[in-house]
Amino acid sequence: MTTASPTLAAGVAADRVPILELRKLDKRFTGTHALKAVDLAFMPGEVHAIVGENGAGKSTLIKLLTGVHVRSSGDIMWQGQVAPIATPHDSIALGINAVHQEVVLCPALTVAANLFLGDEEVKYGFLQHRAMVRDAQKILDEIGFNLPAGAVLGTLTIGQQQLVATARAATRGTKFLIFDEPTAYLTRQEAAQLFALIRRLKARGVTIVYISHRLEEVFDLADRVSILRDGELVSTSRIEDTDEERLIRGMINRTIEQVFHKDEVPFGNTILETRHLTGRGFSDVSMSVRQGEIVGLYGLIGAGRSEFVLSLFGREPATGGEILWQDKPVKIRNERDALSLGIALAPESRRDQGLCLNMPVGFNINLPVLRRLTRGILIAGGPETSAAERQIGDLRIKTASRHALASSLSGGNQQKIVIGKWLNHGAKLFIFDEPTVGVDVGTKAEIYRLMGTLLQQGAGIILISSYLPEVYELADTLHVFRRGQLVASHGHKVASHEDVLSEAIGV
Amino acid sequence: MSITQVEAAPVIRRKLHIPFGLTLVLLLLVLCALLTYFTDSFLTERNIPNLLRQGAMIAILALGETFVIITAGIDLSVGAVVGFTSVIVAWLLTHDVSIWLSILITLGIGLGIGCFHAFGIVKMGLPPFIITLATLTSLRGIGLLMTNGATISITNDTFTDFSRNDLLNSLFGIDISPFDVPNLFAMVVLVAVPAWLFLSHSRWGRYLFAVGSNSEAARLSGVSVTRTIFLAYILSSVCAAFVGLLLASRIGIGNATQAEGWELQAIASSVIGGTSLFGAVGSWHGPLLGAFILATINNGANLLNVNSFWQRIITGGLIIVIVYFDQLRRRRR
Repeated sequence: MTTASPTLAAGVAADRVPILELRKLDKRFTGTHALKAVDLAFMPGEVHAIVGENGAGKSTLIKLLTGVHVRSSGDIMWQGQVAPIATPHDSIALGINAVHQEVVLCPALTVAANLFLGDEEVKYGFLQHRAMVRDAQKILDEIGFNLPAGAVLGTLTIGQQQLVATARAATRGTKFLIFDEPTAYLTRQEAAQLFALIRRLKARGVTIVYISHRLEEVFDLADRVSILRDGELVSTSRIEDTDEERLIRGMINRTIEQVFHKDEVPFGNTILETRHLTGRGFSDVSMSVRQGEIVGLYGLIGAGRSEFVLSLFGREPATGGEILWQDKPVKIRNERDALSLGIALAPESRRDQGLCLNMPVGFNINLPVLRRLTRGILIAGGPETSAAERQIGDLRIKTASRHALASSLSGGNQQKIVIGKWLNHGAKLFIFDEPTVGVDVGTKAEIYRLMGTLLQQGAGIILISSYLPEVYELADTLHVFRRGQLVASHGHKVASHEDVLSEAIGV
Repeated sequence: MSITQVEAAPVIRRKLHIPFGLTLVLLLLVLCALLTYFTDSFLTERNIPNLLRQGAMIAILALGETFVIITAGIDLSVGAVVGFTSVIVAWLLTHDVSIWLSILITLGIGLGIGCFHAFGIVKMGLPPFIITLATLTSLRGIGLLMTNGATISITNDTFTDFSRNDLLNSLFGIDISPFDVPNLFAMVVLVAVPAWLFLSHSRWGRYLFAVGSNSEAARLSGVSVTRTIFLAYILSSVCAAFVGLLLASRIGIGNATQAEGWELQAIASSVIGGTSLFGAVGSWHGPLLGAFILATINNGANLLNVNSFWQRIITGGLIIVIVYFDQLRRRRR
C-alpha cells in the first residue's frame, strides 16, 4: 500500500530494472539437485506464472526467496543489488511475502488477530481488540474479501482461511507476493475475489509470482509464464506467445489427450445403488455405480457431494433412503461396515485424513490390509515387505525406501500412497474425493491410469472433483450436485462444459 | 525377490531403531563402569540385585505408559493405580482370598480402571490428561477410605517371599545367589517379550502408531480408533496393577499413598527411551532402558552419598539432555 508510490514514481525506469532477479541460482540438498543455475527476472507490476510438475523445483524456489532455505550458489538481486536473503525476516524486510498452499495461521484466534499477528494495535500496553476488528474489517472490505473480521479463524472453511492468509500477505507493505496453488481449496466466488485482488495489486505495481497447476488460471492472470522441469528453467515466454499444449509439453513430454487417457471398459453388474438417500447436507439422492464405470460427481464446494460419499463410507450415516449393495439392501453405520462390504475411500485432504505423515511409506501402504497380512496373531514379515515393495514399484512412488517417512515425499507421491494403499485391499467400489488437487500433470496421468486398472479389475469408481475438465473427460456418468440435491445427470461427454457449470451454479 | 527382502528387512529396521537404543545401553554401561570404579559398594552381591529390583517396577510401569503415549495420549494415574491396587491385594489377602484369585481380581481392577479412562476419552470426549488426572487423585482417596488411612500388613509369606526370592531358586530350588535373577527382574522379561511381539509384530501394535500419528487417517483406513484407545489404556492400567502386586509383595503392606510420583518417573523413563509425547514414536525396549538408567543414577547417587535433593535435580537435567540429543538425531534424519 505504502509501496505503491515509490514504484510508480520510478516510472519507466522501473519497468527496465527487474525488481528481483535470480542469477545462476542453485540449490542442492543431500541427494538431490533441486534447482540448477536458474536465471530469471521478475519485473515490477507483472504477474509471472511459474508452472512445472511436482518436484520441478517450484517449492524450492519459493523457499529460497522467502528465506526458508539458503541458496547453495548464485545470487538473488533485489532492485539491482545483491540481496543476501538468509532468514524469513530478511525476505519480509525487503517486502517479499508468500501465500502458502497450506494455511499457516492460528486457528484459535480471530481473523482480525491473525491479520495483525506480530503487529498488534496496542494502547497503554493493552491490545485494542475492538479497534483491530474494525480496522481488519475495513481492510478486508477494501480488498474485496467477503470475510467476517471478528470470526474465529478455525470456524471458517479452508478456502476462507486461505483468503485470510492472502489478505495478511497482501497488506504488509508487500512489493513481491508469491502465491503457491492459491485456488486449490477455493470456491469459484472466492477464487474470483482472489483474482480481483491480484489485478488490483498488479495495478499498484506489486509483482506477483503465481504458481498453479490450473493452466486456465495462468492464462487468465499472467503476463509471462516460466516453465521449470527437473530444477531447470525450460523457458520464459509472454502469455500471448504460448498455449496450454505448449506449456504441458514444456513441463513433461505428454499431450492433453494422453493425460486424460481412458480405456473403454465394458460395464458389469450394479455394485451400489442409492434410493432417495438423505443425510446431513444432502437429500433424496438416487444413483448407481456399475462395475467398470466411473461415476463423476461435480458441484461447487458445499454442494453436498462430499457429505453424500462420506455417508456411503459410514463416516456420517444416512438418515433416510436406501443403500443397495449388489442389489441387497444394507446399512452402513461406520467405516468398518463400509470397508467390510468393499468400499474404499481416498479422502480429500491427504494431510489431515489420508496419511500418517510421520510414519513410514510401507506402514501407510499396508495399514488397511494388516488383517490379511496377519498369520495367527502376528504380522508376517515376508508378505508385509513384498506387499509394500510391490505397491511402491507398481505405483512408481518416488521414495528412498519403504522405511522413509511419508512426510518426506512430494505431494504427488503422497497422493499415490493414499490411493495405492487400497489396491491390495480388493475393494469393489472406490471413492476418490478430489484425487488430483495440488498434483502435477505427470502424477495426474498416473492416477488416471491407476483408475483404469481398477476398472479393468471389475471395480467401480465414484470420482468427486471440483476440476471440471477432469470429471468431464473421465466420467462415464456425470451427476451434478447443487445445494444438497442431485440436479442433473449426463452420459460421457454429452453435455457441454458450459451446461454442466451452469447446472452446478444454478443459472 | 521376496526371499531376499525378507532377509533384508530386519537389517534395515535395526538401522532405524537400534542406534538410539544402543546409545542408551552404552550410557547404562558407562554409568555402571563409573560407579564400579568410584565406589566399593556398587558391584556387590547385595547392591546389584537390589538395583534390578528397584528398576523393575518403574520399567514395567514405563512400558505400559509407552503404549498410551504412542497413541498421543498420557496416563497420569499409573502411580495412583499402583498404590490403590496394593491396598486391594493386601485387603484380599488379609481376608483369606487365595493368592491366585487375589492376583486375578487385582489385575481385573486394573483392567476396569483402563476401561474407565478410555470410556472418558472416547465416549465423553475428555482429554487424556484430565481423565487420568482425575483418577490420580480420586483413586488414592478411595484407597485411603477403604482402610481409613491405615496400612494393611500382608501376613501371607508366600506372597511376600516372591519379591525377595530369585528365579531359579523359586522355580527349581537351586540356590546360586547372588548370581540368580531376582524374581522382580524376571517379571520385566515376562512383560517385555509379549510387549515386543505386540508392538513390533502385531496388527494392534501398528494401530497404536496409526492412531497416534493421525487418528482420522487411521479411521478412514478401517482402524477402530475406539478399540485401539481402549486397548492402550487397559494395557497401561493392567501394567500398573501388576506393579501394584509387585510393590505389595516387596514391602509387605498395602497403602494407597505408596508409589507417589511414580507416574512421572514412568513418563520420564519412557521419554528418555525415545518415546515422543506427540505420539507415534516409541519402542518396547526404550522405556525399559530409560527406567534402568534412572534407577542406576539414583542408586549410584545413594552410594556416593549425594544429597537426595540433588538426585532430583540431576534426574531433571538428565531428562533434558537425553531428550535434546534425541531431538537432534531426529531432525538430522
